[in-house]
Amino acid sequence: MTSSNSRRSFLAGATTLLGAGVVSRAGAATLPEAPVGPSAATAAPLVPPNGRPYNPVVTLNGWSLPWRMKNGVKEFHLVAEPVVREVAPGMLANLWGYNGQSPGPTIEVVEGDRVRIFVTNKLPEHTSIHWHGQILPNGMDGVSGVTQPSIQPGKTFVYEFVARHAGTFMYHPHADEMVQMAMGMMGFWVTHPKDIRQHAVDRDFVFLLGAYDIEPGSYTPKVNTMLDFNLWTFNSRVFPAIDPMVVRQGDRVRIRAGNLTMTNHPIHLHGHTFEVAGTDGGWVRPSARWPEVTTDIGVGQMRAIEFVADNPGDWAFHCHKSHHTMNAMGHDVPTLIGVDHRGVAEKINKLVPGYMVMGEKGGAMGGMQMQLPENTLPMMTGTGQYGEIEMGGMFTLVKVREGLARGDYRDPGHYRHPKGTVAYEWKGELPPAPQAPGMQQLAPAQGKPLELKRGGGHEHH
Amino acid sequence: MNIDKPLRLASGAVLALAVSGCATFSADGGMGAVDQATQAKAGAATKLLRTDDDRQALAGQLRAMLAQPLSADDAVRIALLNNRGLQATYWELGIAEADLVQAGRLQNPAFGYQHKRGGGETSIERSLTFNLVSLVTAPLASRIEGRMFEGAKLRVTAEALRVAADTRRAHVEAVAAAQALDYARQVAGAADASAELAERMRRAGNWSAYDQAREQAFHAEAMADVARAAKAATAARERLTRLLGLWGEDAGYRLPERLPDLPAAPRELPEVERAALRERLDVQAATKETEHTASSFGLTRATRFINVLELGAVRERDGGEPASKGYEITLEVPLFDWGGARTRRAEAVYMQAVNRLAETAVNARSEAREAYLAYRTSYDLAKHYRDVVIPLKKQVSDETLLRYNGMLVSTFELLADAREQRVAVAAAIDALKDYWLADADLETALGGRLPASAQAHGAHHDIK
Ligand SMILES: [Cu+2]
Repeated sequence: MTSSNSRRSFLAGATTLLGAGVVSRAGAATLPEAPVGPSAATAAPLVPPNGRPYNPVVTLNGWSLPWRMKNGVKEFHLVAEPVVREVAPGMLANLWGYNGQSPGPTIEVVEGDRVRIFVTNKLPEHTSIHWHGQILPNGMDGVSGVTQPSIQPGKTFVYEFVARHAGTFMYHPHADEMVQMAMGMMGFWVTHPKDIRQHAVDRDFVFLLGAYDIEPGSYTPKVNTMLDFNLWTFNSRVFPAIDPMVVRQGDRVRIRAGNLTMTNHPIHLHGHTFEVAGTDGGWVRPSARWPEVTTDIGVGQMRAIEFVADNPGDWAFHCHKSHHTMNAMGHDVPTLIGVDHRGVAEKINKLVPGYMVMGEKGGAMGGMQMQLPENTLPMMTGTGQYGEIEMGGMFTLVKVREGLARGDYRDPGHYRHPKGTVAYEWKGELPPAPQAPGMQQLAPAQGKPLELKRGGGHEHH
Repeated sequence: MNIDKPLRLASGAVLALAVSGCATFSADGGMGAVDQATQAKAGAATKLLRTDDDRQALAGQLRAMLAQPLSADDAVRIALLNNRGLQATYWELGIAEADLVQAGRLQNPAFGYQHKRGGGETSIERSLTFNLVSLVTAPLASRIEGRMFEGAKLRVTAEALRVAADTRRAHVEAVAAAQALDYARQVAGAADASAELAERMRRAGNWSAYDQAREQAFHAEAMADVARAAKAATAARERLTRLLGLWGEDAGYRLPERLPDLPAAPRELPEVERAALRERLDVQAATKETEHTASSFGLTRATRFINVLELGAVRERDGGEPASKGYEITLEVPLFDWGGARTRRAEAVYMQAVNRLAETAVNARSEAREAYLAYRTSYDLAKHYRDVVIPLKKQVSDETLLRYNGMLVSTFELLADAREQRVAVAAAIDALKDYWLADADLETALGGRLPASAQAHGAHHDIK
């Protein structure tokens, strides 16, 4: 499968546009360029070439949308269209997105900017865009049927408003939204403060939490899935394909995340404490912030967390729902822990050649190499310097290193631990492991049916 | 002395016999024709077992054939030689031929010699007595018995071919049933593994009694299926064993593990109806019957003539009157008796035969068409299972294993899939069995073996 990008223009670096846009030459006189996202790699921050200055963000495995200035108005052009997103090397997803990628490009503006956004619909059905969290005229809110007619396929609508408040926002459709959001229609919006020094940080990362249900062997998400998703993503990528967040030791770091899935995600950072500095509503007063190592991002919410990266190392950063740090897995697989397979495995092997016992000692696959269905990913994958990282999905690393250059986001590789700072195996004498008195060893519980007393509450025997 | 007349008559009889042709016992007792027919129409020889030597020779032949898994062709070969019912039928030929020969033979002349002495006179009386009746009836009786003998040959051949066809069918059924049993055992193996794992899941505290009971119920049902399949396999095999006429140690013969593969292409037979009319024994028999009936006008006349004469002659002899006299008198009687009623009867009998022949021909054509259509349909169905259903099921299994590898499904889904394959594999075995049965039926409907060239065998396709 070839990416639909290849035949079209793409971005080299983040600031230079190459090739023609998707709009016709006649339209180009009035419509701004609609650049196309080059790849699923993290693009370097987009330093503003004109307009008010700001400190750009870095979109994890994504990019920011260039604009043109027209009579003092920042003009952006979003094209809603089907895209093929690489969820991870070896797995592609037929999604809907904007400008060649899902999620769409991050839109960065400055407080007080007048913004005009052209939205062209190249989807097979109508759409609209809601600017989640923006305070704007009602007619620009993008709820099809309520504040505007929906944008029919092939049509372009213009949204225009002033970005009044600094903060962290999203854009997504408010037309057939169940399908369109399940298909990956979403993007990030950052309104930077007018005063470049206000809320300034050294590194500012953004991503959206997304969930997809793509049956192994297929490419298109099942849009009717409510909760039992099998791909948990940051910007439609899963670990180990989510880029690390690389920071210099001592940097003040901000991570902004928005949740467009159908459940909450307790996002956890190792090695540091952080403060929740912002929500969709804006910046939290310093006196109201509280220290955290995990913050729950509810459905439809934005959170900006801030911390000083004072602790060098490779620090895990992930959703704390353990199934959310897994890739495609069977949720109906019974627990095999403690079940002896001896003898049975041979019988099964006669019937199912190639059968291997898994799960009898736990979930770890112990480096087994096995063939999987097409277009899916192992449940847990990725290798660190000490072996397998048994996670997938919403997981990445915050890599804190000394002396990195300001704009250097390149992966510095594995952390080199100072001598004597890595857990090691005890080689001395091993006392017997203590056990609770009266506890039978390896005795699974056995029971009888409960008796239920009607009328008098129930009693357990 | 009354010796002269009989002698004259006897010489006349010899003359008559020389004209009609005297029937003698053939070297093969009629089996040559039957053997020729079974070789052509069933692809196997047949032989009447007359002596212990014959039986010992057959035993040796059987040992060689039974040393390896019994092919359908070998089964037919054995049945044609060893089926005792068939051997009994073969002896009918002997009976018919004996009747024929008997009919063609004159009764032995009796020579009498009387030496009387008394009253000083010695008289010597020599007499030669001869059955005049048989002399006159012999050619006519030979004709009848000849037809009877021909009819017997056809009947015996038909019976041999029936046994051959039954054997071919029974062989297909027995192999298919054994294959189905083998597969049922495999499925029970899957269920057994499933049930055992379920029990361990329960012991480890990972599964409820509900889950365990469900898996074990599958196992219990699979065991019942094995029992049913075993019963069916035994019945099918014993049917074959009976047709083969085997018992004791020989009944322990081995069958091929699986049915032959589907040929690469089905037989192309554009002229099934013509083949049926040309080759079928029932059509041939009905044709002969009609031909015989056609000549039965004359036959009836002759029969009456003979019968009357015979009665008269016997009476004459009993009375001691000269035989020639009776002969002359009674000779005229049947001619007077030859009336319209008999002609009408003969006509009716003839028309009956003609219509029977027509019916036989209509049925033969229809059966040939039906058999060919059934054959083509069963070929297509077996091919569909081989080329479409089974590969798809195999793909499902492969994909299930991949999903298991990805921990997307459990061992139980794998085993459930193995169980589910059963329906498809059983249906595929059934479809292949139906094809081979239809093939055998087609040969029967068309009156015998079809050219082997159409039997191009396909590549080996595993349906397990
Ligand atoms: Cu989560």
